[in-house]
Amino acid sequence: MAEENDTIIKLESLTKRYGYGDAASFALKDFDLTVKRGEFIMIMGPSGCGKTTLLNIIGLLDTATSGTYLLNNEPVSRISARRQARLRSKKIGFIFQNFNLIPDLPIIENVSLPLVYSGYHKTRRLIRASEILDRFNLKEKEYYMPFQLSGGQQQRAAIARAIVSGPEIILADEPTGNLDSHSSALVMEELKRIHSEGNTIIMVTHNPNLTQYATRVINMLDGAIDTDIKTVKDSDLPVPVHQRAKKKTKKKTKRKRGKK
Amino acid sequence: MALLLKTHYELAKSSLKQNKTRSFLTCFGIAIGVASIILILSLMGSISTLISSQVSQIGSDLIVVRPSTNKNAVDSVVDELTSSTQYLKSNLTMKDAQLIEKLDNVSSVAPLAVSINSLKGDDLVPSATVVGTNPNFLKIQNLTLKSGTFLKENSKTNTAVIGAALANDLYGTDEPIGKSLTLLGERFIIVGVLSEIDDPINFNNLDLDESLFVSASTLNEIDNSLQIQQINIRATNTDGIQDTVNLIRETLVAAKSGDTNFSVLYGEEITHPAGTLFSIISGILAIVAGISLVVGGIGVMNIMLVSVAERTHEIGVRKAVGASFNNIFLQFLFEALILTVLGGILGMIFGYSIAFLISLITPFSPFISWEIVLITFLTSLTIGVVFGLYPALKAANKNPISSLKFWG
Ligand SMILES: Nc1ncnc2c1ncn2[C@@H]1O[C@H](COP(=O)(O)OP(=O)(O)OP(=O)(O)O)[C@@H](O)[C@H]1O
Ligand SMILES: [Mg+2]
Repeated sequence: MAEENDTIIKLESLTKRYGYGDAASFALKDFDLTVKRGEFIMIMGPSGCGKTTLLNIIGLLDTATSGTYLLNNEPVSRISARRQARLRSKKIGFIFQNFNLIPDLPIIENVSLPLVYSGYHKTRRLIRASEILDRFNLKEKEYYMPFQLSGGQQQRAAIARAIVSGPEIILADEPTGNLDSHSSALVMEELKRIHSEGNTIIMVTHNPNLTQYATRVINMLDGAIDTDIKTVKDSDLPVPVHQRAKKKTKKKTKRKRGKK
Repeated sequence: MALLLKTHYELAKSSLKQNKTRSFLTCFGIAIGVASIILILSLMGSISTLISSQVSQIGSDLIVVRPSTNKNAVDSVVDELTSSTQYLKSNLTMKDAQLIEKLDNVSSVAPLAVSINSLKGDDLVPSATVVGTNPNFLKIQNLTLKSGTFLKENSKTNTAVIGAALANDLYGTDEPIGKSLTLLGERFIIVGVLSEIDDPINFNNLDLDESLFVSASTLNEIDNSLQIQQINIRATNTDGIQDTVNLIRETLVAAKSGDTNFSVLYGEEITHPAGTLFSIISGILAIVAGISLVVGGIGVMNIMLVSVAERTHEIGVRKAVGASFNNIFLQFLFEALILTVLGGILGMIFGYSIAFLISLITPFSPFISWEIVLITFLTSLTIGVVFGLYPALKAANKNPISSLKFWG
């Protein structure tokens, strides 16, 4: 029972095919993956092996050709488009390599965008976005337009947007791909903090140095898993903030907190 | 739900603000269409008020006999517009007027023999309206004299009564009593001046202020081509007026040995020809205005399509962070609606401003009613929905992944 609860994402022989017949090519082929709550997974692999495709399917932006995807034990194929959209705004946060901020909106409105679609009043949206930006040291840049920020700042704003509605899953597609090492480190520190709060993170990267942040490293090849290494035991994964009160007695939680 | 709509409204508003000039120009296209519709409706409204106020002015006891053809309304309107000799085919005579006068329930009768002639007073007026009638005319028309007297029965000299405006044209004064003028080679003495009525649209099709009135029998003697174009009749008793109308018709048919090319009208029928003409014209104008509104709508659609294409990436981002089909659909539909409704309001202001300017130089006062406002509002809303639907669907149907790869 507890096991079931800890599983947030379960993919079973997931396949994504482009084209038909002789022209068919597989971005994902019989892909199996079980993700536990609180994991920080890094996905690596050569260009074109299906990493982005995988993230898009997990993030409900794309659908698999065949196979099953259980999100919180619910088959995604049975979730209506409308509810999938709501899940994207509340439960899933996307971070992209090219930031994908809307150039016409000030940073604060970009950050508050997911809240627009989860039904917040404008004032509450802006207050919440402002709080998050404060946390990312971007408070004084609230009303800047995206082009007035450096790449690193833009990516931090994009991360702020991804977590503004308190999602359970963060999907990051090469978030440091466009950044220098210093900005990369800042971004990774943010992700580390988000992870330590008990969030599940799946991140695609080409930089092997970043795997130190992960609890699990997956290497992909041609649409399937090549290697899958867990560096942290399942029992040592961080517990979501809102669940901590219940599990206070558990030793591992105290230890993790004590470390910080 | 209300919050959702408000949010979409805010989103739409902010994206319109990013393109102020474009939004304004698109609005303007709608505004022109709406303004022309408002203008036409306002004119129609004020003209029908004018006409119905005339019906009540002339009273329910008035009967009018006019020559008529068997042509349909449009043909006779076209005739009226194209021929200056519209009255020449009349089959009414002085004798008809005398016959009617003897009938039951008829209190007074005035024939109208209208012709255009040149008048020579102190100045020359080359084409003035000359009305041949009898002394009853004053009473039947409820006219008052500014000074002098009206035409008298069996007057020994040639007398004439003049409209105030024509008096000014002929003599440079509106007090020309005792002065003389020459009409068709005969000398006439002005014995009276009509009070100004300022009512160029009336059931006689005459601008009385610009007319000269002489005795029909006198005119008949000097102009042998003269014809009676209309006979105005006052009934004694309103109750039996339909019977009186029938009686007049039968009497005239009998007198003309079966010739039925005339009509006997009362009440609203009297103003009908003017009404038909005017509804045909306003119908045509309304079609033109409708076309310009459709053109405005196509402008909205065009701009919305450009906007959807330009903002493909934005749509992708919005979908990635949780926008549903409906969210995107409503955002773009609201943009179109804001454009058209704003255009509608702008057009209403334009239209009424022009109607007001027109009222300064014509008798048509702006006609404002909640129906017009409602029609305008609903029309702009409909235009917004009709022409905003396709772009909004197009936006909402965009695939988020390919949209995210699109940098416009
Ligand atoms: N819309 C599409 N139509 C056809 N093939 C596609 C489409 N999108 C992706 N593919 C193919 O799917 C495969 C996986 O693409 P994907 O974007 O997932 O690769 P990736 O692992 O993210 O690569 P990179 O590291 O370069 O980002 C590629 O071979 C690509 O050509
Ligand atoms: Mg990729």
